[in-house]
Amino acid sequence: MKHNLKFISELIKFRLSHIMTFRLGFFAPFFINTSYFLVQLFAFEAIYGHVDSIRGWGHGEILIFIGTFSLIDALNMTICFFGVISLPDKIQTGELDLYLTKPVNPLLRITFEKVDPGAIPLLIFSACIALYGVRESGVNLSYANIIGYLFLVLLMTILYYDMELLIRCFAFFVFSVDNLMKIENTAVDLCLKIPGIAFYGIYKFVFYCVLPYGIIATLPTQAVTGVLSAKGFLFGVAIVCIFTFFALSFWTYGVHRYESASS
Amino acid sequence: MKKYLEIAKAYMKAQLIWRSDTLVDVILAVAKILFAWILWSILFEGKEQIAGLGFQAMISYYIISSYLFQLEKSAEISRQMTGMLRNGTFSKYMVIPVQTQGYFVAMEAGKIAFSAGIGFLATFLWFYLFRIPFVHTANIKILLCGSIMVVLGLLFMALLNYFLGILTLKFEEISIFLMIKDNLSAFVTGAVIPLALLPEWMTAGMKFLPFYYVTYLPSMLFIGKCEEEAVTGLIVLSVWCMVFLVLNQVTYEHDRIKYDGAGI
Repeated sequence: MKHNLKFISELIKFRLSHIMTFRLGFFAPFFINTSYFLVQLFAFEAIYGHVDSIRGWGHGEILIFIGTFSLIDALNMTICFFGVISLPDKIQTGELDLYLTKPVNPLLRITFEKVDPGAIPLLIFSACIALYGVRESGVNLSYANIIGYLFLVLLMTILYYDMELLIRCFAFFVFSVDNLMKIENTAVDLCLKIPGIAFYGIYKFVFYCVLPYGIIATLPTQAVTGVLSAKGFLFGVAIVCIFTFFALSFWTYGVHRYESASS
Repeated sequence: MKKYLEIAKAYMKAQLIWRSDTLVDVILAVAKILFAWILWSILFEGKEQIAGLGFQAMISYYIISSYLFQLEKSAEISRQMTGMLRNGTFSKYMVIPVQTQGYFVAMEAGKIAFSAGIGFLATFLWFYLFRIPFVHTANIKILLCGSIMVVLGLLFMALLNYFLGILTLKFEEISIFLMIKDNLSAFVTGAVIPLALLPEWMTAGMKFLPFYYVTYLPSMLFIGKCEEEAVTGLIVLSVWCMVFLVLNQVTYEHDRIKYDGAGI
């Protein structure tokens, strides 16, 4: 554990000195993500400006929802996004060999080697949106709600990472994962527009259990507003455990099948 | 003209190689419509109309706008151009006896021609399977105006993306601008939400920009709304297309000398 932490801190140091060379690139994730979430915020304001509530959620809860989704995305962008998205290229070009032959966990290196502090301002921006939502909804914040919210944000960031990894691990078995990534982008984009509480029937099953983007911002929002049941909380924990298990197993299986470039 | 037709035909045939891409595009367009259905069926609970649109008109809008949005693939032009200009492979377009702008527009036309047919069949199937009462106009003139506007809108987006691609000659790294443009264009063209939901001052301002006429206005015209804006829309969009035709030509002639064929 100590060895891994030291390794991660070295990776971050290397990364920081590398990205300082390209100053515009340093803030690129901030500009890109901010434009994306401003568009989503405008869309939300336009849609929900015409209705008072959606399945019991008022304007405040919706703001917490979008702020939380943005927060989780920004955390992901800061920590592991740029590392994980490079996985298909590494598999196709055989660059993964360089990772597998080093005496460190290759997944750990891929995950943390492209940490990007450019998305940190977005973290602050997202937290402000969520806080404004809390104020708007008139929720009385208790320590339990805050701790529950932060814990679930952490869990959902892991879930987001699991999904990213699972989808990109298909590159071990197929020539291109571009279409899977298109599906991923569309699912994230759509789940950002519809709170999980709005899903029912088959849609609820799909976006809670198969592509669980529907719970990513919904459960933390329910936790902070104090409406999340113990059953809902356990469900969130169980989903994260299951998907983490799947993602790591799929990665291990993929690495075993990997036969260097053109495999 | 024959040369450009051949280019369009070649790219149309090339689309057959990427059948799974087309299938995924159709599935994603259907997924977007499904989400619109879920979202708006909740929002319309206890309401007859939102922003002047009834539930069926809203869903019809989403089906048409998703179809039009799915057709618009010109973002590939700027990505392709920036990649080739940076790695030095753009030379092949400079040595063939066609205008580069015409080449990329013809390429886009070929790709659209293929996916337009597939997408139309999928949309038709969608209406038939889910028995959606399609809200549409019966006015032939408006249908014609809407169809011309769709063509002009696609042409404009191709020209805009070609322009952004040329900017690589000047700024070298434009991928950040392209990503921001992608984020904004879905919203300002009305593919995310109908622009009628926005405040009036905002839509009034958008009418001077071409994006309003790319997806939003044609979709509204097809469902029988905003008919009084049809002619103005055609004029505004035509002017924007002409501006970009000239701008692209001038910028390309001015900046192409910076390209040395060895990559940037």
